[in-house]
Amino acid sequence: MVLQPSERHYRDWNHRRLGPWCSPTGSPAPLSCETGCGEGSWILVCRLLVPTQVNLLSMEEDIDTRKINNSFLRDHSYATEADIISTVEFNHTGELLATGDKGGRVVIFQREQESKNQVHRRGEYNVYSTFQSHEPEFDYLKSLEIEEKINKIRWLPQQNAAYFLLSTNDKTVKLWKVSERDKRPEGYNLKDEEGRLRDPATITTLRVPVLRPMDLMVEATPRRVFANAHTYHINSISVNSDYETYMSADDLRINLWNFEITNQSFNIVDIKPANMEELTEVITAAEFHPHHCNTFVYSSSKGTIRLCDMRASALCDRHTKFFEEPEDPSNRSFFSEIISSISDVKFSHSGRYIMTRDYLTVKVWDLNMENRPIETYQVHDYLRSKLCSLYENDCIFDKFECVWNGSDSVIMTGSYNNFFRMFDRNTKRDVTLEASRENSKPRAILKPRKVCVGGKRRKDEISVDSLDFSKKILHTAWHPSENIIAVAATNNLYIFQDKVN
Amino acid sequence: MEVQKEAQRIMTLSVWKMYHSRMQRGGLRLHRSLQLSLVMRSARELYLSAKVEALDLETPSTPTRCPPLSPEPMDTQEDEEEASPRAAETLARCSAHPARVGRKRRSSSLSNGVDAGLVPSKKARLEEKEEAEDASSEVPDRLLPPPAQAEGAFPNLARVLQRSFSGLLNRGPTAPPTAPPARDAKPVCRPADPVLSVLVRAVVAF
Repeated sequence: MVLQPSERHYRDWNHRRLGPWCSPTGSPAPLSCETGCGEGSWILVCRLLVPTQVNLLSMEEDIDTRKINNSFLRDHSYATEADIISTVEFNHTGELLATGDKGGRVVIFQREQESKNQVHRRGEYNVYSTFQSHEPEFDYLKSLEIEEKINKIRWLPQQNAAYFLLSTNDKTVKLWKVSERDKRPEGYNLKDEEGRLRDPATITTLRVPVLRPMDLMVEATPRRVFANAHTYHINSISVNSDYETYMSADDLRINLWNFEITNQSFNIVDIKPANMEELTEVITAAEFHPHHCNTFVYSSSKGTIRLCDMRASALCDRHTKFFEEPEDPSNRSFFSEIISSISDVKFSHSGRYIMTRDYLTVKVWDLNMENRPIETYQVHDYLRSKLCSLYENDCIFDKFECVWNGSDSVIMTGSYNNFFRMFDRNTKRDVTLEASRENSKPRAILKPRKVCVGGKRRKDEISVDSLDFSKKILHTAWHPSENIIAVAATNNLYIFQDKVN
Repeated sequence: MEVQKEAQRIMTLSVWKMYHSRMQRGGLRLHRSLQLSLVMRSARELYLSAKVEALDLETPSTPTRCPPLSPEPMDTQEDEEEASPRAAETLARCSAHPARVGRKRRSSSLSNGVDAGLVPSKKARLEEKEEAEDASSEVPDRLLPPPAQAEGAFPNLARVLQRSFSGLLNRGPTAPPTAPPARDAKPVCRPADPVLSVLVRAVVAF
């Protein structure tokens, strides 16, 4: 699907209609320095909501931007389930931000360029490109529908003018090329201006077609489709630091692909037991080391992480390192096994540490120490006594992601009630913030939130029982070099920025 | 008693979730099914241990019917008759050892000549279940027959699950459990757990 907005059109439109977003709302409120301030103070840059397909069709030319951030949309919920954001990812420079949703759509946002006139406008992200990445499919052999939900998006490092990203659903990985076109050839000999063929008899002179500028067009084309390699549901993809290969992981297997070859892949991990009755764990996430192209890790549903070296053997069933923390017997409960399942694993930018997220905690591991993590952070320990209810409403199966900041000093993860948490590894301070519509004034400073566990509830605190478990922040992303974060709350994408930035 | 009720409720809930996960778009999720089966197993063990404690306090007078856990082929009828006194005896002794022994015996049969021998017994069990009036509290056993019948199993499973639900809801826990596999700390013994293997088989069948 080709989107044809002009860049200038975006900006003008933003000036006219998105005024309230651009200008600061007077002097910011003084920051309350109560406990858990964490990382400075955060302000809302913009809240983005891409309309549904239905709206797109009815709008014809003036496509997305008009309705984005419009209070009209804010009040009327056009959100359908297909709009629920399922993955968020900055590219390597942070200029682009990609989101995937349950409807199989990928929306790419681009950062507003800095300009002297509108210094305060910098940091806003606007829609750059929208395309339908995956469609629902049907597996005839198994009589199963294959969801089009985008599970993961991973950017490739930029090597020319075009941008490349990988997007995957449960079964198929696709390589997309996103490129700009701002020139158009004019003056063909055999075709007229509308593209109709001219009668050769009428051609009396020859001319050389010239390139003339046109309105900026951003188009996305699928360059490769990597299909039919996974029996189970793909949960992760990771681009290798050699930029030639990438891996895709499902519940039981991990495959290594070359970007150029779509009809073959190497199986590098296979934990499927010969007898499926003996199945005890599945792969939940996998990632390549950021610098060593031979190293990768994968996490399991049992709370363990395995580091593998592809130089050791073709099939990396035997791990090089095995990270597992012995279980605390005092915490043993009915649902211990479920909550110890790791939902996300991420290498630090330095490559020295890995971070894992299970249901209640985030842990940082040193690659050189396998027997326990070096840091453990409680995300929402007050839920430990509520596991039974969370099992009933299926929340206990939620897969939260976690992210590092650019300098690996702060880690962030989501929680319920649209809360998300940041932990500063150096100062050991943490903060809970909320991504909510009520606090959606532009440039508004986010107030730290606090959950009251028991006893007396102070003002501004929320009790555990009034948390909204349908509002969960599963996907977040941190700009690679600046303090800008993207937080996905259902169908809304919030972009926050550090005030000092 | 509370613990028992709670465990049973969770078991029922787990089976319901498993059943419903079939209807989901995208098909059965292996990870989710595994987690559900783990919870089911924990609930079952909790239930069984609670039952053991409860029976410790009172004399087991009700005629006990051992729910068909055993994969031993063609022995269902005899198994039940034998198993009841055995189960009662085990429970009364409240010791894990005979339980383990009992389980080991069964698991060894499981490892020998698995599939061919299992199929006829499963069919027999399914028919027998349809005839039998009092439902066992061991819901996972309901999953025993259908998985072996793979392709044609879906309508059967649905029917069986529905019946087992109504059975569970209508009746309290009348039947005592079999000698439960003791909950080992290490997951190594998991392959020998017939219930879990059955559940996983159910998962795989889909």
